[in-house]
Amino acid sequence: MKNKINVYLIEYAINAVLRQKYKSFFIVSVFMLLTFLLTSVFFITNSIKHELESTVDALPQIIVQKIKAGRHYDIDVSSVDGILEIAGVSDAVARVWGYYYFENAGVNFSLVGIEQYEKQYKNSFESIVEKFDLTHNEDDSFMVAGEGVYQTMQQNYYKEYFNFIKPDGTLKKVNLAGVFDSDTNLESNDMIVLSKETLREIFDIPESKATDIVVRVENPQEIQTVASKIKLMYPDTRIVTNQDLKVSYQNIFDYKSGIFLALFIVSLFTFFIIIYDKSSGLSNEEKREIGILKAVGWTVDDVLKEKFYESFIISFFAYTLGVGLALAYVYLFQAPLLRDVFVGYSQLKTRFELPFVFDFQTLFLVFLLSVPIYIAATIIPSWKVATLEADEVIR
Amino acid sequence: MIELKNISKIYDVNKNEKLIALDAINLTIQEGELVVLKGASGSGKSTILSLIAALSKPTNGEVIVDSKKISKLPDYFASIYRRDNIGFIFQKYNLIPTLSVKDNVLLPLIPLNPHADLVDEKLQKVMQRFNIAHKKDVLVRNLSGGEQQRVAIARSYVNDPKIIIADEPTANLDEKLSLHFIEMLRELKLLNKTIIIATHDPLFFNLDFVDREIEIHNGKILR
Ligand SMILES: Nc1ncnc2c1ncn2[C@@H]1O[C@H](COP(=O)(O)OP(=O)(O)O)[C@@H](O)[C@H]1O
Ligand SMILES: [Mg+2]
Repeated sequence: MKNKINVYLIEYAINAVLRQKYKSFFIVSVFMLLTFLLTSVFFITNSIKHELESTVDALPQIIVQKIKAGRHYDIDVSSVDGILEIAGVSDAVARVWGYYYFENAGVNFSLVGIEQYEKQYKNSFESIVEKFDLTHNEDDSFMVAGEGVYQTMQQNYYKEYFNFIKPDGTLKKVNLAGVFDSDTNLESNDMIVLSKETLREIFDIPESKATDIVVRVENPQEIQTVASKIKLMYPDTRIVTNQDLKVSYQNIFDYKSGIFLALFIVSLFTFFIIIYDKSSGLSNEEKREIGILKAVGWTVDDVLKEKFYESFIISFFAYTLGVGLALAYVYLFQAPLLRDVFVGYSQLKTRFELPFVFDFQTLFLVFLLSVPIYIAATIIPSWKVATLEADEVIR
Repeated sequence: MIELKNISKIYDVNKNEKLIALDAINLTIQEGELVVLKGASGSGKSTILSLIAALSKPTNGEVIVDSKKISKLPDYFASIYRRDNIGFIFQKYNLIPTLSVKDNVLLPLIPLNPHADLVDEKLQKVMQRFNIAHKKDVLVRNLSGGEQQRVAIARSYVNDPKIIIADEPTANLDEKLSLHFIEMLRELKLLNKTIIIATHDPLFFNLDFVDREIEIHNGKILR
């Protein structure tokens, strides 16, 4: 009987929370806001991190670009043959792609040309080739667009086709064959996939030229060696490896995590102010109540147990609310306001979805940063009063 | 049996000033005895009560209850001692104003982790005995002085203590309610409790059911 949970003690604690309506309401509000902010920031960070990682993983191992006087030019398609000679290279594909500025919406689309019967340098293109027919001919061209592009088109009255303006000022009409949904949102959102011929026409790139060449290496350990060999063979090129890209992606990200950290510290700071305020002392009524409980036979343990329940109820309730709100805010409503701060790096104004990444560690971290600290901050001053001589407290 | 042996209580008023509230007191109270401590305000009556209830510790001497040195008990055991032996009716009642009558009376039982059926029955009985059951769900802060005192009495009685202590029980009551309290006291006496009352109210003097009147003066017992 002694070791059973004391229902009356818990009831007393619940009652205590309800009795101090305004105080409890205030604490729950502030506490909830802080857990909400913290959790939201963590959720957004996790989502972007996840997104970046999958983007980087999908990057080509080596990209070869032609550089003249520090400027990027189209590369000769014939270079592919030379690169394929290098030991360790398993594949080399000339890519035709580029950014197209859509003036009406003020956004950039990235246009990527693929060839139906060529080996695709990205896995996600294989399924596009399988699903859609992008055959090119004079008056009937087709494209497949990312979700973000599709939305932008819809908003600008292009339902089934799009008119690209060619360098000579004439229009090229391309029909929308479908919308794709790749696993990496970040990259594919502003993307349009069409046949290489169509793209050459839009950008006016001759058959003998390509935007760059992507190289696949058998053994990932050899990427650097192969990269140097290509540079030796074609000195007028710039070689970008996926390692380089990873670093620059991470740089952008680390810069952002500075902002996260700032926000994090601000909220933590606010939290500690409340804690400080609370631990600086109990009100006279609170002290007296503890004295009365001691006088009628409660031990210090009983009092502290009750205070533990009280603060646990209030902080866990607020924590749950905060986390629940953050879940809804970030994943359901896609984090309005905060999202602009964090997703700004992608430089696209097109739609970007924060993927749901459930991370138990985050929830646990926020829990550790809030609930036990609050409980300690409640129990310590109560403990100070409870260990005083009861007579002094109630006199 | 309660024994006070050579008890002194000295308060530090400030750094250089000490106040001798009790000065080498010796006193024995038998089981079932009803004792009235009388004396002017400031004579030391409340201090004696709080020592017997282990709410404070003497500067010198020993308080022995049923051959246990309760003045030497660590805080935890002092609480247990109060829980099991003492019912204290404080001068200012010391109720929790934002709790209902019932919840106030329940307070001494909570640390015992009692069984729900027993609790309800016990509370109902006690509240009925002290005529406050009809207000059981009313918040204590909305009660009159007399009603608050009845709650305080019910609370002191609910853990079935051997010793009931009342400090100036009629200080805040009019004459009618004071007489009513004395009737309740008579009833408690019949229940064979050891009862100690501190008062300077003449209503308590020469009552037939009071076993002994002890006069305190300046921290000493007058013979
Ligand atoms: N905590 C305290 N600090 C200082 N002096 C105290 C304290 N408690 C009581 N006293 C003093 O001790 C003396 C006895 O007080 P008390 O026992 O309350 O007397 P009574 O109950 O007979 O009026 C008084 O002079 C009082 O001022
Ligand atoms: Mg007094």
